[in-house]
Amino acid sequence: MSAGVSLRNVSKSFGSARAPALCGVSLDVAAGSCTVILGPSGSGKSTILRVIAGLDAVSDGTVHVDGVDVAAVPSEQRGIGMVFQRPLLFPHLSVLDNVAFSQRVSGASRAESRRHAQHYLDLVQLGGFGGRSVQALSGGQEQRVAIARALAAAPRVLLMDEPFSALDPALREDMHELLCDIRNALSPTIILVTHDRDEAAAIADRIAVIQAGALLQHDTVDRIYHRPLSTGVSRLMGGLNEILGHVHAGMHVSPLGEVPVSPGTPDGPGTLVIRHEAIEVSRCTEEEPSASGVVGHVSRVRQFGPRRMVTVSFADGSEMLAALPPGDAVQNGCRVVLTLPAAAVSVVPL
Amino acid sequence: MTRGDLRTASATRARPLRARGASGRGVRNLGVLLVVGWFLLPVAPLALWAFANDWAFPSALPSEWGWDGLIGSVRQGALPALGHSLALSLLVSAIATPLGAMAARALTFGAVPWPRAVGLALLAPIALPPFAAVMGLNVILLRAHVPPEMGLVLVLVVMAIPYTTFTMRVAYAAHDIRYEEEARTLGASRRNVLWRVHVPLVAPALARAAFLAFLVGWSDYVVTLIVGGGEVVTLPLVTASIAAGIGNDATVAVLSLSAIVPPLILLALAGRTGAGPRTDGRTAVRYQAFDYQADRDPGEQK
Amino acid sequence: MLPSRLKPTTAVARRNRCALLVLPAVVLAVFVVGGGIGAATLQSLGLMPLVGPVRLSLDAYTGQAGELIHALGLSLAIAAAATVIAAVVGVGTALFIVGGRWGARLVAITSAATVTIPHLIGAAAVGLLLADSGVLARVLGVPPDLWPSIVGGPWWVAVIAEYAWKESAFIGLVVAGTLLTRTARFDESAAMLGAGRWNRFRFVTLPLAVPALVISSMIAFVYTLGSYEVAWLLGRTYPEPLAVMALRLFTSVTLTARPEAAAVAVLTTAVSFVIVGLCFWALRKTAVWR
Repeated sequence: MSAGVSLRNVSKSFGSARAPALCGVSLDVAAGSCTVILGPSGSGKSTILRVIAGLDAVSDGTVHVDGVDVAAVPSEQRGIGMVFQRPLLFPHLSVLDNVAFSQRVSGASRAESRRHAQHYLDLVQLGGFGGRSVQALSGGQEQRVAIARALAAAPRVLLMDEPFSALDPALREDMHELLCDIRNALSPTIILVTHDRDEAAAIADRIAVIQAGALLQHDTVDRIYHRPLSTGVSRLMGGLNEILGHVHAGMHVSPLGEVPVSPGTPDGPGTLVIRHEAIEVSRCTEEEPSASGVVGHVSRVRQFGPRRMVTVSFADGSEMLAALPPGDAVQNGCRVVLTLPAAAVSVVPL
Repeated sequence: MTRGDLRTASATRARPLRARGASGRGVRNLGVLLVVGWFLLPVAPLALWAFANDWAFPSALPSEWGWDGLIGSVRQGALPALGHSLALSLLVSAIATPLGAMAARALTFGAVPWPRAVGLALLAPIALPPFAAVMGLNVILLRAHVPPEMGLVLVLVVMAIPYTTFTMRVAYAAHDIRYEEEARTLGASRRNVLWRVHVPLVAPALARAAFLAFLVGWSDYVVTLIVGGGEVVTLPLVTASIAAGIGNDATVAVLSLSAIVPPLILLALAGRTGAGPRTDGRTAVRYQAFDYQADRDPGEQK
Repeated sequence: MLPSRLKPTTAVARRNRCALLVLPAVVLAVFVVGGGIGAATLQSLGLMPLVGPVRLSLDAYTGQAGELIHALGLSLAIAAAATVIAAVVGVGTALFIVGGRWGARLVAITSAATVTIPHLIGAAAVGLLLADSGVLARVLGVPPDLWPSIVGGPWWVAVIAEYAWKESAFIGLVVAGTLLTRTARFDESAAMLGAGRWNRFRFVTLPLAVPALVISSMIAFVYTLGSYEVAWLLGRTYPEPLAVMALRLFTSVTLTARPEAAAVAVLTTAVSFVIVGLCFWALRKTAVWR
């Protein structure tokens, strides 16, 4: 039983702070989907969760869960589960009793609530850990128990506030798989907050990009990466290339040259953005570029994670970064042709 | 495990909406007033009697206001008693606080031999009734020709040690020793680390511990009576001898107020140093470090 | 940093330094506690008389066994009544302090101020309040002969009230301290799991506050058991609680009184330690997270 969540023009100010935490945020999360709220520290991501959960009241706007305005409903009655960054397992209860907590407070007997809890402990693959004390768990195990505890309450919506940011990368991947299993088994509506782009891309159906309390874009992962609505979104997603110019007759005109853009791009001034992974870099060559190519000189080659990144400078001083394929075909200083496929090119209107 | 199993919970969760009641708030406010009244009630007569020259039964308020109580208490030796009380309490505090702090530091961060026994020994004075301690100890102190003032301070310091040790142990448990290690890597000598890093970080806790030790000395009656042997006259002793008589209510009230006010002033001062430096607060101990205030700080939005 | 051959010395030196840090406090504590109990025991057994020959005897105990039991029973009853009232009011106080809003500050300030009041002063104040010509009687307009004998009465009401009043402030502050630091984090988690206010209190707040409540109640109980000034000022001359009896014997001129006073002291100390021991044994399972 999952529910959709919808925020309409939600604003939130905390009394002492200068700037509002949230400013006119409108967001629709479909039932059963997984939406990741992505943004830098201080952008208001956690505030959105707290407002949905009812832990903080909105200053303006409405929150609807399953079509019902929940402003007057206290947190414990909203049917919303929340997993925090710290597991916050109750220290005075065993692991199984922690998971069984929601049943106990709704009046079930101890035995019945424990039976119910065991299912969820199995779901997070900690079936044998029920009798342990919470102090005996590792960080990853604690977070699994916290997730099981939230799920055992059978929430309509599951909120997760940077649940994996305290774990190391290998553990994080295990957790993403766990989320997959949970979605297959229960299909809850999940709203997860993170500042990690890769995590967002790995688990989200749709990403909502937040910055400084405002929602910049809410879209599928692919469109967030390749069709950003603003340079802000592009930069937050790690986009490294922005070229100022204007669009005319299906081409983006800039000091670099003319680059074809996808049909339907409106004419007028706009910034060309393209992912560094999508650019094709030729070998050092004296050839002329194709219709969708530009010519430049390599000014720097450096390591960037598992790949190499080349900085290409142009006549007017602007630069583009492109990720290199394996091989040593490019050296510092040589002349290269960058091909910008139209499918990967996006123009952000000014 | 099917969806059906896992959904049964949701069927039992349907509950009627409960309005956040104005009645609930009213009950809460009443409770607050009752509790506050409970604490303030015995102090009320003191405030009235202190300035009452004449208050015959059955009038609800004094018939004549005046300074008789003040004059009477000064004549009975209130000022020297106040001085003795202050001196005694400050001395007890000055000795018990460093002792407790050092012991707490060693127990928290060091390798103390038999740490559990040491911890228990430092807490044991709480279980010892003061009159029992002094009855036994008095003979020893007399035979060893220990001056009464010294014996008095000794016993009171030991009675204060459990409080200072406990307060500082709690403080050191939350103390991140990496601040001091960082200072040492920056070239600070041990002395500098102690006075420039260590003490400022635990200063609020030291203030609390010092205040508790001060209270032990300030409030004491039995130990001062017996070990002091009548040579050390503090405020509680003067108040007791006057209160045991009849018809000195105004004097008793003034003496009582003068015994209440100085600790309150110190409490207010300690409360102001209580807001210590804001640190990261993360230590190796789990759960210990999580600062609830940081979670709720609205400035720290994500 | 340090070459490895220096490390074993450093560890030993560290141990010695730590021992030095605890030494002053431990030496003083052991001297006063051990010396006090030891000397009292010896005196009660006739092995450290003021005058006269050293002669081991149990007369100090057997000679006044009836009064000892009586005094012990009275002291335990007063302490129990005062501690129970103090615990209930203290928990309420703590909940108000944690609850936030204007009430919290007010309750916190008044209870902190109450803790700073010496017991003797509190006794004097309670006496002024509850005596038959006291302020309460005057405000309510009840003449002295109709006013119930609260001070010095057969039910020790004023004594119990004073102890309960002061200890409730102490318990309230200790429990509030625990609630503020430890249980506050879990309140939101419990709410998100569907627990309403009462359930949050019953399943999260109270269990986490119980260790602090038990310890502070135990301290209050043991203190009240061995306390002198309040029972002396507000109580009646007979029956006597342990402390009053002990001091009467101590200051008496009779030769046999000293050992008897010491016997009362030893008994009170023994009961106190037993109670403290029981408390710690009962709490051994709960992890006391420091």
